[in-house]
Amino acid sequence: MVTVKIENLSYSYKDSATSVLHDISLSFSSGERVAIIGQNGTGKTTLTKHLNGILTPDTGRVLIDNVNVENKTTAEWASKVGYVFQNPNDQLFLDTVKKELVFGPSHLGIPKKEIQKRIRFVSELVGMQEELAEHPLNLTDSEKKFCAIGAVLAMDPNVVIMDEPTGGQDKSGKYRLAKILEYLKTQQKICIVVSHDMRFVTENFDRIVVMANGHILLDGAPKEVFSNPQVLKEAFVTPPPITDLAQKLGWETTILSISEFIEELKKRVQ
Amino acid sequence: MKVSSKDVISVNNFSFSYPQTKKPAISSMNFTVKEGEFFCIVGANGAGKSTLCDSLVGLIPQYFLGTTKGQVLVNGQETTKQTVAELSLEIGLVFQNPFNQLSYTTSTVAEELAYGLGNHGIPRSEMLDRVAAVAKKMRIESLLDRDPLTLSGGQIQRVAFGSTYILNPSILVLDECTTQLDPIGSEEIFTIIKQLNDEGVTVVMTDTETERLSMYADRILLLDNGLQMGVDKPQAIFAREDLEKLNISTPLNYQLTQELTKIGILDSPEFNQDIILEKIKEVENGYR
Repeated sequence: MVTVKIENLSYSYKDSATSVLHDISLSFSSGERVAIIGQNGTGKTTLTKHLNGILTPDTGRVLIDNVNVENKTTAEWASKVGYVFQNPNDQLFLDTVKKELVFGPSHLGIPKKEIQKRIRFVSELVGMQEELAEHPLNLTDSEKKFCAIGAVLAMDPNVVIMDEPTGGQDKSGKYRLAKILEYLKTQQKICIVVSHDMRFVTENFDRIVVMANGHILLDGAPKEVFSNPQVLKEAFVTPPPITDLAQKLGWETTILSISEFIEELKKRVQ
Repeated sequence: MKVSSKDVISVNNFSFSYPQTKKPAISSMNFTVKEGEFFCIVGANGAGKSTLCDSLVGLIPQYFLGTTKGQVLVNGQETTKQTVAELSLEIGLVFQNPFNQLSYTTSTVAEELAYGLGNHGIPRSEMLDRVAAVAKKMRIESLLDRDPLTLSGGQIQRVAFGSTYILNPSILVLDECTTQLDPIGSEEIFTIIKQLNDEGVTVVMTDTETERLSMYADRILLLDNGLQMGVDKPQAIFAREDLEKLNISTPLNYQLTQELTKIGILDSPEFNQDIILEKIKEVENGYR
Protein backbone atom coordinates (compact mmCIF):
# COMPACT_ATOMS: atom_id res chain seq x y z
CA MET A 1 0.00 0.00 0.00
CA VAL A 2 1.17 3.48 -0.75
CA THR A 3 -0.23 6.99 -0.44
CA VAL A 4 0.71 10.29 -2.03
CA LYS A 5 -0.52 13.55 -0.55
CA ILE A 6 0.06 16.97 -2.02
CA GLU A 7 -0.87 19.72 0.46
CA ASN A 8 -1.30 23.37 -0.54
CA LEU A 9 1.64 23.25 -2.92
CA SER A 10 2.76 26.48 -4.60
CA TYR A 11 5.80 26.90 -6.79
CA SER A 12 7.48 29.44 -9.03
CA TYR A 13 10.65 29.03 -11.06
CA LYS A 14 13.66 31.12 -10.06
CA ASP A 15 13.94 34.39 -12.06
CA SER A 16 10.24 34.24 -12.83
CA ALA A 17 7.81 36.70 -11.30
CA THR A 18 4.71 34.59 -11.89
CA SER A 19 4.08 31.39 -10.02
CA VAL A 20 3.54 28.15 -11.93
CA LEU A 21 1.54 26.23 -9.35
CA HIS A 22 -0.97 27.77 -6.96
CA ASP A 23 -2.11 26.06 -3.81
CA ILE A 24 -2.48 22.55 -5.21
CA SER A 25 -3.91 19.83 -2.99
CA LEU A 26 -4.40 16.26 -4.24
CA SER A 27 -4.13 12.79 -2.82
CA PHE A 28 -3.69 9.44 -4.49
CA SER A 29 -4.00 5.93 -3.12
CA SER A 30 -2.86 2.41 -4.06
CA GLY A 31 -4.09 1.03 -7.36
CA GLU A 32 -5.15 4.39 -8.73
CA ARG A 33 -4.43 5.28 -12.34
CA VAL A 34 -4.57 9.04 -12.69
CA ALA A 35 -4.16 11.09 -15.86
CA ILE A 36 -3.15 14.73 -15.63
CA ILE A 37 -4.33 16.73 -18.64
CA GLY A 38 -4.34 20.41 -19.56
CA GLN A 39 -2.79 23.16 -21.64
CA ASN A 40 0.90 23.23 -22.57
CA GLY A 41 2.89 25.20 -20.02
CA THR A 42 0.21 24.95 -17.36
CA GLY A 43 2.44 23.20 -14.83
CA LYS A 44 1.70 19.48 -15.32
CA THR A 45 5.36 18.49 -15.55
CA THR A 46 6.30 20.96 -12.82
CA LEU A 47 3.74 19.36 -10.51
CA THR A 48 4.88 15.79 -11.10
CA LYS A 49 8.52 16.79 -10.55
CA HIS A 50 7.59 17.57 -6.94
CA LEU A 51 6.64 13.99 -6.24
CA ASN A 52 10.22 12.72 -6.02
CA GLY A 53 11.98 15.90 -4.98
CA ILE A 54 13.36 17.01 -8.37
CA LEU A 55 11.64 20.26 -7.39
CA THR A 56 10.75 21.39 -3.87
CA PRO A 57 7.67 23.52 -3.17
CA ASP A 58 7.93 27.20 -2.21
CA THR A 59 5.09 26.60 0.21
CA GLY A 60 3.10 23.50 1.07
CA ARG A 61 4.41 19.94 1.10
CA VAL A 62 4.30 16.53 -0.54
CA LEU A 63 4.02 13.38 1.56
CA ILE A 64 4.75 9.87 0.32
CA ASP A 65 3.50 7.33 2.87
CA ASN A 66 3.33 10.25 5.29
CA VAL A 67 7.02 11.12 4.87
CA ASN A 68 7.81 14.60 3.59
CA VAL A 69 9.53 14.30 0.20
CA GLU A 70 12.01 17.00 1.25
CA ASN A 71 13.39 14.71 3.98
CA LYS A 72 15.17 12.51 1.43
CA THR A 73 17.14 13.05 -1.79
CA THR A 74 15.68 12.31 -5.24
CA ALA A 75 18.09 9.35 -5.48
CA GLU A 76 16.78 7.98 -2.19
CA TRP A 77 13.22 8.30 -3.42
CA ALA A 78 14.00 6.53 -6.70
CA SER A 79 13.18 3.09 -5.31
CA LYS A 80 9.77 4.29 -4.22
CA VAL A 81 8.83 6.91 -6.82
CA GLY A 82 9.77 6.18 -10.42
CA TYR A 83 9.85 9.07 -12.85
CA VAL A 84 9.81 8.68 -16.65
CA PHE A 85 10.82 11.92 -18.34
CA GLN A 86 8.96 13.48 -21.25
CA ASN A 87 12.11 13.44 -23.37
CA PRO A 88 13.82 10.02 -23.02
CA ASN A 89 17.09 11.64 -24.11
CA ASP A 90 17.08 13.36 -20.69
CA GLN A 91 17.06 10.01 -19.00
CA LEU A 92 19.04 7.43 -21.01
CA PHE A 93 22.83 7.59 -20.72
CA LEU A 94 24.33 4.11 -20.91
CA ASP A 95 25.47 2.20 -23.99
CA THR A 96 23.02 -0.71 -23.99
CA VAL A 97 19.35 -1.11 -23.20
CA LYS A 98 20.23 -3.87 -20.74
CA LYS A 99 22.59 -1.59 -18.80
CA GLU A 100 19.82 1.01 -18.59
CA LEU A 101 17.49 -1.58 -17.08
CA VAL A 102 20.13 -2.95 -14.68
CA PHE A 103 21.36 0.47 -13.50
CA GLY A 104 18.53 1.30 -11.08
CA PRO A 105 18.14 -2.02 -9.26
CA SER A 106 21.91 -2.58 -9.03
CA HIS A 107 22.23 0.74 -7.18
CA LEU A 108 19.53 -0.33 -4.77
CA GLY A 109 21.68 -3.27 -3.67
CA ILE A 110 19.35 -5.88 -5.09
CA PRO A 111 20.90 -9.36 -5.52
CA LYS A 112 22.08 -10.23 -9.04
CA LYS A 113 19.67 -13.15 -9.44
CA GLU A 114 16.69 -10.97 -8.55
CA ILE A 115 17.92 -8.26 -10.96
CA GLN A 116 18.12 -10.81 -13.78
CA LYS A 117 14.61 -11.98 -13.00
CA ARG A 118 13.31 -8.43 -13.03
CA ILE A 119 15.07 -7.56 -16.29
CA ARG A 120 13.54 -10.58 -17.97
CA PHE A 121 10.08 -9.62 -16.77
CA VAL A 122 10.35 -5.87 -17.39
CA SER A 123 11.94 -6.19 -20.82
CA GLU A 124 9.05 -8.37 -21.88
CA LEU A 125 6.47 -6.02 -20.35
CA VAL A 126 7.87 -3.01 -22.23
CA GLY A 127 8.60 -5.02 -25.40
CA MET A 128 12.38 -4.65 -25.31
CA GLN A 129 13.50 -8.31 -25.14
CA GLU A 130 14.98 -8.19 -28.65
CA GLU A 131 16.72 -4.86 -28.08
CA LEU A 132 18.65 -5.58 -24.86
CA ALA A 133 22.05 -5.42 -26.56
CA GLU A 134 21.14 -2.36 -28.63
CA HIS A 135 22.59 1.11 -27.98
CA PRO A 136 19.72 3.35 -26.78
CA LEU A 137 20.70 5.96 -29.36
CA ASN A 138 19.92 3.45 -32.12
CA LEU A 139 16.34 3.09 -30.92
CA THR A 140 13.39 4.96 -32.44
CA ASP A 141 11.83 7.70 -30.28
CA SER A 142 9.03 5.34 -29.37
CA GLU A 143 11.42 2.53 -28.35
CA LYS A 144 13.48 5.01 -26.32
CA LYS A 145 10.36 5.81 -24.32
CA PHE A 146 9.75 2.13 -23.59
CA CYS A 147 13.40 1.72 -22.61
CA ALA A 148 13.06 4.66 -20.20
CA ILE A 149 9.85 3.17 -18.77
CA GLY A 150 11.59 -0.20 -18.37
CA ALA A 151 14.52 1.40 -16.54
CA VAL A 152 12.09 2.88 -14.03
CA LEU A 153 9.93 -0.24 -13.64
CA ALA A 154 13.05 -2.36 -13.03
CA MET A 155 13.31 -0.61 -9.64
CA ASP A 156 9.76 -1.77 -8.83
CA PRO A 157 8.66 1.60 -7.41
CA ASN A 158 5.26 1.91 -5.72
CA VAL A 159 4.54 5.20 -7.45
CA VAL A 160 5.14 5.45 -11.21
CA ILE A 161 5.03 8.83 -12.95
CA MET A 162 5.16 9.07 -16.73
CA ASP A 163 5.35 12.41 -18.49
CA GLU A 164 3.75 12.20 -21.96
CA PRO A 165 4.36 8.52 -22.71
CA THR A 166 1.67 8.57 -25.42
CA GLY A 167 3.28 11.28 -27.60
CA GLY A 168 4.35 9.79 -30.93
CA GLN A 169 3.17 6.26 -30.07
CA ASP A 170 1.40 4.28 -32.75
CA LYS A 171 -1.44 1.85 -32.20
CA SER A 172 0.75 -0.98 -30.92
CA GLY A 173 2.77 1.42 -28.73
CA LYS A 174 -0.41 2.63 -27.07
CA TYR A 175 -1.64 -0.92 -26.66
CA ARG A 176 1.64 -1.82 -24.93
CA LEU A 177 1.30 1.24 -22.67
CA ALA A 178 -2.24 0.20 -21.77
CA LYS A 179 -0.94 -3.27 -20.83
CA ILE A 180 1.74 -1.69 -18.60
CA LEU A 181 -0.89 0.45 -16.87
CA GLU A 182 -3.07 -2.60 -16.33
CA TYR A 183 -0.16 -4.48 -14.80
CA LEU A 184 0.65 -1.59 -12.46
CA LYS A 185 -2.94 -1.57 -11.28
CA THR A 186 -2.85 -5.27 -10.46
CA GLN A 187 0.27 -4.56 -8.40
CA GLN A 188 -1.63 -1.84 -6.49
CA LYS A 189 0.83 0.84 -7.65
CA ILE A 190 -0.11 4.47 -8.00
CA CYS A 191 0.34 5.49 -11.60
CA ILE A 192 0.32 9.16 -12.57
CA VAL A 193 0.50 9.96 -16.27
CA VAL A 194 0.63 13.32 -18.05
CA SER A 195 -0.96 13.02 -21.49
CA HIS A 196 -2.61 14.96 -24.30
CA ASP A 197 -4.21 11.90 -25.86
CA MET A 198 -7.86 12.11 -24.78
CA ARG A 199 -8.86 8.86 -26.43
CA PHE A 200 -6.10 7.00 -24.57
CA VAL A 201 -6.87 8.76 -21.30
CA THR A 202 -10.56 7.89 -21.52
CA GLU A 203 -9.89 4.26 -22.28
CA ASN A 204 -7.24 3.66 -19.62
CA PHE A 205 -7.75 5.83 -16.54
CA ASP A 206 -10.12 5.79 -13.59
CA ARG A 207 -9.45 9.37 -12.64
CA ILE A 208 -8.56 12.51 -14.57
CA VAL A 209 -7.10 15.70 -13.09
CA VAL A 210 -7.50 18.74 -15.35
CA MET A 211 -5.06 21.61 -14.85
CA ALA A 212 -5.28 25.19 -16.08
CA ASN A 213 -2.96 28.06 -15.21
CA GLY A 214 -1.38 26.21 -12.31
CA HIS A 215 -4.72 25.31 -10.70
CA ILE A 216 -6.74 22.13 -10.53
CA LEU A 217 -9.81 22.80 -12.64
CA LEU A 218 -11.53 19.40 -12.48
CA ASP A 219 -10.81 16.09 -10.78
CA GLY A 220 -12.95 13.02 -11.29
CA ALA A 221 -13.87 9.99 -13.37
CA PRO A 222 -13.66 10.40 -17.18
CA LYS A 223 -17.47 10.63 -17.46
CA GLU A 224 -17.67 13.52 -14.99
CA VAL A 225 -14.66 15.36 -16.37
CA PHE A 226 -15.70 15.15 -20.03
CA SER A 227 -19.30 16.06 -19.29
CA ASN A 228 -18.32 19.71 -19.13
CA PRO A 229 -16.74 20.85 -22.42
CA GLN A 230 -17.06 24.54 -21.54
CA VAL A 231 -14.88 24.19 -18.43
CA LEU A 232 -12.47 21.95 -20.33
CA LYS A 233 -11.93 24.66 -22.91
CA GLU A 234 -10.32 26.77 -20.19
CA ALA A 235 -7.66 24.04 -19.95
CA PHE A 236 -7.29 23.82 -23.75
CA VAL A 237 -8.70 20.33 -23.66
CA THR A 238 -11.37 18.88 -25.89
CA PRO A 239 -13.24 15.65 -25.08
CA PRO A 240 -12.43 12.58 -27.20
CA PRO A 241 -13.94 12.81 -30.73
CA ILE A 242 -16.82 10.44 -29.96
CA THR A 243 -17.78 12.40 -26.80
CA ASP A 244 -17.52 15.65 -28.72
CA LEU A 245 -19.82 14.30 -31.44
CA ALA A 246 -22.51 13.33 -28.93
CA GLN A 247 -22.24 16.71 -27.22
CA LYS A 248 -22.63 18.50 -30.55
CA LEU A 249 -25.79 16.49 -31.12
CA GLY A 250 -27.07 17.93 -27.87
CA TRP A 251 -27.24 14.58 -26.08
CA GLU A 252 -27.23 14.90 -22.31
CA THR A 253 -25.56 11.56 -21.55
CA THR A 254 -21.78 11.70 -21.73
CA ILE A 255 -20.65 9.15 -24.31
CA LEU A 256 -17.15 7.69 -24.07
CA SER A 257 -17.13 4.85 -26.59
CA ILE A 258 -18.57 3.75 -29.93
CA SER A 259 -20.73 1.09 -28.30
CA GLU A 260 -22.18 3.64 -25.86
CA PHE A 261 -22.88 5.95 -28.80
CA ILE A 262 -24.72 3.31 -30.79
CA GLU A 263 -26.71 2.19 -27.77
CA GLU A 264 -27.79 5.77 -27.08
CA LEU A 265 -28.68 6.39 -30.71
CA LYS A 266 -30.78 3.21 -30.82
CA LYS A 267 -32.62 4.38 -27.70
CA ARG A 268 -33.31 7.75 -29.27
CA VAL A 269 -34.68 6.41 -32.56
CA GLN A 270 -36.82 3.64 -31.10
CA MET B 1 -9.34 24.58 -58.07
CA LYS B 2 -7.24 24.25 -54.93
CA VAL B 3 -4.97 21.46 -56.18
CA SER B 4 -3.24 22.14 -59.49
CA SER B 5 -2.03 19.52 -61.91
CA LYS B 6 1.60 20.56 -61.45
CA ASP B 7 3.85 18.11 -59.59
CA VAL B 8 5.89 19.97 -56.96
CA ILE B 9 7.42 16.79 -55.56
CA SER B 10 8.29 13.72 -57.63
CA VAL B 11 9.75 10.70 -55.92
CA ASN B 12 11.08 8.30 -58.52
CA ASN B 13 11.92 4.77 -57.47
CA PHE B 14 13.71 6.15 -54.41
CA SER B 15 15.37 3.93 -51.80
CA PHE B 16 17.58 4.77 -48.86
CA SER B 17 19.65 2.68 -46.46
CA TYR B 18 21.29 4.06 -43.33
CA PRO B 19 25.00 3.25 -42.96
CA GLN B 20 25.81 -0.22 -41.60
CA THR B 21 22.30 -1.52 -42.12
CA LYS B 22 21.39 -4.22 -44.61
CA LYS B 23 17.72 -3.48 -45.04
CA PRO B 24 16.73 -0.18 -46.69
CA ALA B 25 14.76 2.17 -44.38
CA ILE B 26 12.56 2.99 -47.37
CA SER B 27 12.53 1.23 -50.73
CA SER B 28 11.15 1.87 -54.20
CA MET B 29 9.10 4.93 -53.26
CA ASN B 30 7.12 6.17 -56.25
CA PHE B 31 4.68 9.05 -55.94
CA THR B 32 4.11 12.69 -56.78
CA VAL B 33 2.63 15.53 -54.74
CA LYS B 34 0.61 18.15 -56.61
CA GLU B 35 0.83 21.87 -56.01
CA GLY B 36 -1.61 22.90 -53.27
CA GLU B 37 -2.27 19.35 -52.16
CA PHE B 38 -2.76 18.24 -48.53
CA PHE B 39 -0.77 15.03 -48.71
CA CYS B 40 -0.47 12.75 -45.70
CA ILE B 41 1.91 9.92 -44.91
CA VAL B 42 0.51 7.33 -42.53
CA GLY B 43 2.35 4.38 -41.03
CA ALA B 44 3.28 2.74 -37.73
CA ASN B 45 6.44 3.67 -35.86
CA GLY B 46 9.44 2.50 -37.82
CA ALA B 47 7.53 2.41 -41.13
CA GLY B 48 9.88 5.02 -42.64
CA LYS B 49 7.82 8.22 -42.31
CA SER B 50 10.63 10.39 -40.90
CA THR B 51 13.17 8.94 -43.31
CA LEU B 52 10.87 9.86 -46.18
CA CYS B 53 10.38 13.41 -44.80
CA ASP B 54 14.14 13.87 -44.41
CA SER B 55 14.54 12.69 -48.02
CA LEU B 56 12.02 15.22 -49.35
CA VAL B 57 13.93 18.19 -47.89
CA GLY B 58 17.42 16.97 -48.85
CA LEU B 59 18.64 16.15 -45.31
CA ILE B 60 18.90 12.66 -46.79
CA PRO B 61 21.42 12.10 -48.31
CA GLN B 62 23.21 15.39 -47.68
CA TYR B 63 23.17 15.43 -43.88
CA PHE B 64 22.24 11.87 -42.96
CA LEU B 65 24.65 9.84 -45.05
CA GLY B 66 23.75 6.48 -46.51
CA THR B 67 23.06 4.70 -49.76
CA THR B 68 20.38 6.05 -52.09
CA LYS B 69 18.78 4.76 -55.27
CA GLY B 70 16.44 6.70 -57.53
CA GLN B 71 15.75 10.40 -57.10
CA VAL B 72 13.65 13.03 -55.35
CA LEU B 73 12.68 16.15 -57.34
CA VAL B 74 11.39 19.32 -55.70
CA ASN B 75 9.94 21.83 -58.14
CA GLY B 76 11.54 19.84 -60.94
CA GLN B 77 15.05 19.90 -59.50
CA GLU B 78 16.89 17.03 -57.89
CA THR B 79 17.39 17.61 -54.14
CA THR B 80 21.03 16.60 -54.39
CA LYS B 81 21.73 19.49 -56.80
CA GLN B 82 21.00 22.15 -54.14
CA THR B 83 22.15 22.67 -50.57
CA VAL B 84 19.69 21.96 -47.76
CA ALA B 85 19.77 25.69 -46.92
CA GLU B 86 18.80 26.64 -50.50
CA LEU B 87 16.07 24.01 -50.49
CA SER B 88 14.67 25.34 -47.18
CA LEU B 89 13.32 28.39 -49.03
CA GLU B 90 11.19 26.08 -51.22
CA ILE B 91 10.46 23.18 -48.89
CA GLY B 92 10.52 23.51 -45.09
CA LEU B 93 10.59 20.69 -42.55
CA VAL B 94 9.10 20.80 -39.07
CA PHE B 95 10.90 18.10 -37.09
CA GLN B 96 9.20 15.39 -35.10
CA ASN B 97 11.29 16.17 -32.02
CA PRO B 98 11.45 19.97 -31.69
CA PHE B 99 14.54 19.63 -29.52
CA ASN B 100 16.37 18.35 -32.62
CA GLN B 101 15.36 21.44 -34.54
CA LEU B 102 16.43 24.24 -32.20
CA SER B 103 19.64 25.99 -33.22
CA TYR B 104 20.98 25.99 -29.62
CA THR B 105 22.78 29.25 -30.48
CA THR B 106 20.08 31.74 -29.53
CA SER B 107 19.00 33.06 -26.15
CA THR B 108 15.46 34.19 -26.98
CA VAL B 109 12.51 32.83 -28.91
CA ALA B 110 12.59 35.92 -31.16
CA GLU B 111 16.21 35.18 -32.12
CA GLU B 112 15.35 31.52 -32.66
CA LEU B 113 12.54 32.47 -35.05
CA ALA B 114 14.82 34.91 -36.90
CA TYR B 115 17.70 32.43 -37.13
CA GLY B 116 16.89 31.16 -40.64
CA LEU B 117 16.16 34.68 -41.92
CA GLY B 118 19.60 35.80 -40.71
CA ASN B 119 21.24 32.98 -42.61
CA HIS B 120 19.45 34.05 -45.79
CA GLY B 121 20.52 37.69 -45.43
CA ILE B 122 17.06 39.19 -44.83
CA PRO B 123 17.31 42.88 -43.70
CA ARG B 124 16.73 43.54 -39.99
CA SER B 125 13.56 45.60 -40.32
CA GLU B 126 11.89 42.92 -42.43
CA MET B 127 13.11 40.29 -39.97
CA LEU B 128 11.37 42.05 -37.09
CA ASP B 129 8.11 42.28 -39.03
CA ARG B 130 8.21 38.63 -40.01
CA VAL B 131 9.05 37.50 -36.45
CA ALA B 132 6.09 39.50 -35.12
CA ALA B 133 3.73 38.07 -37.74
CA VAL B 134 4.80 34.47 -37.20
CA ALA B 135 4.69 34.81 -33.39
CA LYS B 136 1.12 36.02 -33.68
CA LYS B 137 0.16 33.17 -35.98
CA MET B 138 1.73 30.56 -33.67
CA ARG B 139 0.31 32.23 -30.55
CA ILE B 140 3.74 32.65 -28.95
CA GLU B 141 3.88 36.48 -28.78
CA SER B 142 4.21 36.41 -25.00
CA LEU B 143 7.19 34.07 -25.23
CA LEU B 144 9.40 36.13 -27.57
CA ASP B 145 11.84 37.21 -24.83
CA ARG B 146 12.05 33.79 -23.19
CA ASP B 147 15.03 31.45 -23.49
CA PRO B 148 13.81 28.62 -25.79
CA LEU B 149 15.28 26.01 -23.44
CA THR B 150 13.00 27.13 -20.59
CA LEU B 151 9.79 26.51 -22.56
CA SER B 152 7.44 23.58 -22.17
CA GLY B 153 7.48 20.80 -24.78
CA GLY B 154 4.36 22.09 -26.53
CA GLN B 155 5.62 25.67 -26.58
CA ILE B 156 8.90 24.54 -28.17
CA GLN B 157 6.91 22.70 -30.83
CA ARG B 158 5.20 25.96 -31.79
CA VAL B 159 8.55 27.78 -31.91
CA ALA B 160 9.96 25.03 -34.12
CA PHE B 161 7.00 25.28 -36.51
CA GLY B 162 7.33 29.09 -36.56
CA SER B 163 11.04 28.98 -37.33
CA THR B 164 10.37 26.82 -40.42
CA TYR B 165 7.30 28.70 -41.59
CA ILE B 166 9.01 32.11 -41.28
CA LEU B 167 11.02 31.37 -44.45
CA ASN B 168 7.74 31.21 -46.42
CA PRO B 169 8.43 27.91 -48.17
CA SER B 170 5.83 26.94 -50.79
CA ILE B 171 5.91 23.34 -49.51
CA LEU B 172 5.73 22.45 -45.81
CA VAL B 173 6.73 19.01 -44.58
CA LEU B 174 5.42 18.34 -41.08
CA ASP B 175 6.73 15.27 -39.29
CA GLU B 176 4.34 14.42 -36.43
CA CYS B 177 4.38 18.06 -35.44
CA THR B 178 1.56 17.99 -32.88
CA THR B 179 2.61 15.07 -30.68
CA GLN B 180 3.39 17.26 -27.67
CA LEU B 181 0.53 19.73 -28.01
CA ASP B 182 -2.58 19.95 -25.86
CA PRO B 183 -5.77 19.08 -27.78
CA ILE B 184 -6.83 22.65 -28.51
CA GLY B 185 -3.22 23.62 -29.32
CA SER B 186 -3.05 20.73 -31.73
CA GLU B 187 -6.38 21.76 -33.26
CA GLU B 188 -5.01 25.30 -33.64
CA ILE B 189 -1.88 24.05 -35.40
CA PHE B 190 -4.08 22.00 -37.74
CA THR B 191 -6.18 25.09 -38.39
CA ILE B 192 -3.04 27.08 -39.22
CA ILE B 193 -1.81 24.31 -41.51
CA LYS B 194 -5.22 24.11 -43.18
CA GLN B 195 -5.27 27.89 -43.61
CA LEU B 196 -1.77 27.86 -45.16
CA ASN B 197 -2.93 25.05 -47.44
CA ASP B 198 -6.01 27.06 -48.48
CA GLU B 199 -3.65 29.94 -49.28
CA GLY B 200 -1.83 27.63 -51.69
CA VAL B 201 0.97 26.09 -49.60
CA THR B 202 1.51 22.42 -50.41
CA VAL B 203 1.40 20.34 -47.23
CA VAL B 204 3.05 16.97 -46.64
CA MET B 205 2.23 15.66 -43.20
CA THR B 206 2.93 12.50 -41.22
CA ASP B 207 1.26 11.21 -38.12
CA THR B 208 0.49 8.00 -36.28
CA GLU B 209 -2.76 9.64 -35.20
CA THR B 210 -5.24 9.43 -38.04
CA GLU B 211 -8.12 11.28 -36.38
CA ARG B 212 -7.52 14.71 -37.93
CA LEU B 213 -5.40 13.67 -40.90
CA SER B 214 -8.37 11.79 -42.28
CA MET B 215 -10.47 14.97 -42.26
CA TYR B 216 -7.95 17.13 -44.09
CA ALA B 217 -6.01 14.81 -46.39
CA ASP B 218 -6.58 14.98 -50.14
CA ARG B 219 -4.57 11.80 -50.46
CA ILE B 220 -2.79 9.45 -48.08
CA LEU B 221 0.40 7.48 -48.68
CA LEU B 222 0.34 4.30 -46.61
CA LEU B 223 3.75 3.07 -45.47
CA ASP B 224 4.68 -0.19 -43.84
CA ASN B 225 8.11 -1.43 -42.96
CA GLY B 226 9.79 0.85 -45.53
CA LEU B 227 7.41 -0.11 -48.32
CA GLN B 228 4.78 1.92 -50.12
CA MET B 229 1.49 0.08 -49.56
CA GLY B 230 -0.62 2.50 -51.57
CA VAL B 231 -1.49 6.12 -52.32
CA ASP B 232 -5.17 6.94 -52.37
CA LYS B 233 -8.02 9.09 -51.07
CA PRO B 234 -8.73 8.68 -47.31
CA GLN B 235 -11.98 6.80 -48.03
CA ALA B 236 -10.09 4.14 -49.95
CA ILE B 237 -7.20 3.93 -47.47
CA PHE B 238 -9.39 3.51 -44.39
CA ALA B 239 -11.61 0.97 -46.13
CA ARG B 240 -8.61 -1.35 -46.49
CA GLU B 241 -8.85 -4.60 -44.60
CA ASP B 242 -5.14 -4.82 -43.81
CA LEU B 243 -5.02 -1.70 -41.56
CA GLU B 244 -5.23 -3.74 -38.37
CA LYS B 245 -2.28 -5.82 -39.56
CA LEU B 246 -0.36 -2.66 -40.54
CA ASN B 247 -0.86 -1.30 -37.01
CA ILE B 248 -2.82 1.76 -38.16
CA SER B 249 -5.62 3.05 -35.97
CA THR B 250 -8.84 3.92 -37.77
CA PRO B 251 -10.29 7.35 -36.90
CA LEU B 252 -12.93 7.07 -34.19
CA ASN B 253 -15.62 8.95 -36.12
CA TYR B 254 -14.97 6.76 -39.14
CA GLN B 255 -15.26 3.60 -37.02
CA LEU B 256 -18.51 4.91 -35.62
CA THR B 257 -19.94 5.62 -39.05
CA GLN B 258 -18.81 2.18 -40.23
CA GLU B 259 -20.88 0.71 -37.40
CA LEU B 260 -23.81 2.96 -38.25
CA THR B 261 -23.56 1.86 -41.87
CA LYS B 262 -23.69 -1.79 -40.80
CA ILE B 263 -26.93 -1.29 -38.90
CA GLY B 264 -28.43 0.70 -41.75
CA ILE B 265 -28.48 4.16 -40.14
CA LEU B 266 -26.02 5.62 -42.65
CA ASP B 267 -25.41 4.81 -46.31
CA SER B 268 -21.61 4.97 -46.18
CA PRO B 269 -18.78 5.65 -43.71
CA GLU B 270 -17.72 9.28 -43.39
CA PHE B 271 -14.83 11.38 -41.97
CA ASN B 272 -16.25 14.85 -41.92
CA GLN B 273 -17.77 15.62 -38.55
CA ASP B 274 -20.22 18.17 -39.95
CA ILE B 275 -21.62 15.64 -42.41
CA ILE B 276 -21.80 12.95 -39.71
CA LEU B 277 -23.69 15.35 -37.42
CA GLU B 278 -26.10 16.29 -40.16
CA LYS B 279 -26.83 12.66 -41.08
CA ILE B 280 -27.41 11.55 -37.50
CA LYS B 281 -29.67 14.54 -36.87
CA GLU B 282 -31.70 13.57 -39.94
CA VAL B 283 -32.07 10.05 -38.58
CA GLU B 284 -33.07 11.33 -35.13
CA ASN B 285 -35.59 13.79 -36.56
CA GLY B 286 -37.02 11.14 -38.83
CA TYR B 287 -38.04 9.15 -35.79
CA ARG B 288 -39.52 12.01 -33.82
